[in-house]
Amino acid sequence: MNKMFLIALALFVAGCATVKKVESGSNMVSEHLSINIEGNWNHLDFPGIKPAQVWTMEGVTVDEFLIYSGIQGGQVMHPENASSSKLKNFVFRSAMQTEEIVSLLEGVLSRDNSTFKLLKLEPYPFGGKKGFRFEYERIRKVDNVQLRGIGFGAVDKGELYALLYHAPRLTFFPRHQARVEAIAKTALIR
Amino acid sequence: MKRRRFLAAGGACCAGLATNNAWAQAITEYAAPHRFDRPDLATDEGGLWALMDREEKALRRSPLVVRDEKLKTYVQDIACRLGSDHCPDIRTFLVRTPLFNASMAPNGMMQIWTGLLLRVENEAQLAAVIGHEIGHYLQRHSVERLRDIKSKTAFGQVLGLFGLVGALGQIAVAASAFAYGREHERDADRIGAFLMHRAGYDVTESAKVWNNLLQETTAREGKEPEQTAPLFATHPAPPERRDDLVQLAKSLPGGKAGGEAYAERTRPFLDGWLQDEVKRGQYAESLVLLSRHIAGGVAPELMRYYRGEVYRLRGQEGDQDLALADYRTSALNPNPPPPVFRGIGLISRQRGQREEALQALSRYLELAPEAPDSAFIKTYISELSS
Repeated sequence: MNKMFLIALALFVAGCATVKKVESGSNMVSEHLSINIEGNWNHLDFPGIKPAQVWTMEGVTVDEFLIYSGIQGGQVMHPENASSSKLKNFVFRSAMQTEEIVSLLEGVLSRDNSTFKLLKLEPYPFGGKKGFRFEYERIRKVDNVQLRGIGFGAVDKGELYALLYHAPRLTFFPRHQARVEAIAKTALIR
Repeated sequence: MKRRRFLAAGGACCAGLATNNAWAQAITEYAAPHRFDRPDLATDEGGLWALMDREEKALRRSPLVVRDEKLKTYVQDIACRLGSDHCPDIRTFLVRTPLFNASMAPNGMMQIWTGLLLRVENEAQLAAVIGHEIGHYLQRHSVERLRDIKSKTAFGQVLGLFGLVGALGQIAVAASAFAYGREHERDADRIGAFLMHRAGYDVTESAKVWNNLLQETTAREGKEPEQTAPLFATHPAPPERRDDLVQLAKSLPGGKAGGEAYAERTRPFLDGWLQDEVKRGQYAESLVLLSRHIAGGVAPELMRYYRGEVYRLRGQEGDQDLALADYRTSALNPNPPPPVFRGIGLISRQRGQREEALQALSRYLELAPEAPDSAFIKTYISELSS
């Protein structure tokens, strides 16, 4: 994902990327997912960034808040602009069990040869559905930064909804963890 | 010159590519140069060293570097046996990355990735890769490559002023750069083989490294590597290189493989390296690798477990049966990895085999009560018990 940020930076400089301010309050992330946020976020957008929405609080090379909304069976999980790479395409399957979804997300986050270690996986009602919550740590390959992260997810009608947030573990993750936990609590899948 | 390209030139020469029959001739003598003095900073070589010094400083702090002193010393000693008089200048870093790669910079910094350590089967195979990298170092290939790229880039920029002609020029420059690298690879292979032999290693193992890698790549692509990868396409066919290494080894007979020592030293790290390997999601490659290690008797309980994981995560038709077979075989070992029972339990649960699922998941939590997914597994057990 970090490669994506570098691409994003290049595109931003070139005028292809946009950064929109996301205001506090209730936000319809997509047709089927709403969340309530406190504080303003930055929503990064550029061609090929989907399927996740990428938000950031501190800046694209620091923290990442990934929002997956309504990922369908057979859909690739990493950014479209990276699909042509020789790296593995991680594809969601509607019948995946929770532990398989977490492994899928592990794969997506390790795709750039960053490390991923699962610290905790537990049941969690997400978006009003039976879901899961997990904690992880990563070492980002491109700059060797140690990150901490949390993720939430659920599958509804065969489609995946998930939130992932990671940031450098010492300062930025503790600064925003509670904010992200609060967002996850307000998520509603319609 | 762009920093990235400059660094690429410096750290390059990854365990690489190339061959043709002409070079696979006997090498019975090689006069290594004397130890290198630090070049003047005002020269291009001095600048390259300075950049590599900076990279090394960053690498020393990297959390991805394997800190285990025993393993590090073991690999450093192999490098020293191969490097001989140059030993004091070689500094080996083991880097946690699940890909087959090694490189040596002109300032003596050598990086070996854990994906390589997972793939080689003995000391001689590791020595083959290290010897190859030392070959590049002794011949100062990175400096030559840097100068070549610099001159070709300048030439290409001139051509670039002339539209289509310029574009064609760029292609020609790129092709030329690859061909130039090929000569270096040949040199490094031959010198590496000589160093291996001198250090008492069996040179026939070097061809096996290449062959094993070839099998993995072919499994992933479903085609020969040169049909799919542009880089391979500009180099001689990998099977050719493997065959030439076999020929080269005939002129350097004898030596040890060092399988037992290698297995003993790397055994404590296999679990972590295998976790990283499976996360790559390159299931076809991983299956070739794991099956090879199972056939070779390397840590069978671990290899069976992780092959089961690969089948389970791949999720193709019939994979659950294959996964279960591997999990169950692993579970027969005196000290099976606890997640083996997790795997059995998860598949049994999906199949509605309540009793077996309950038994296996309970066993998993008995053996690994602090497992990161224990809270989730408890909900499964609760569901199955009700």
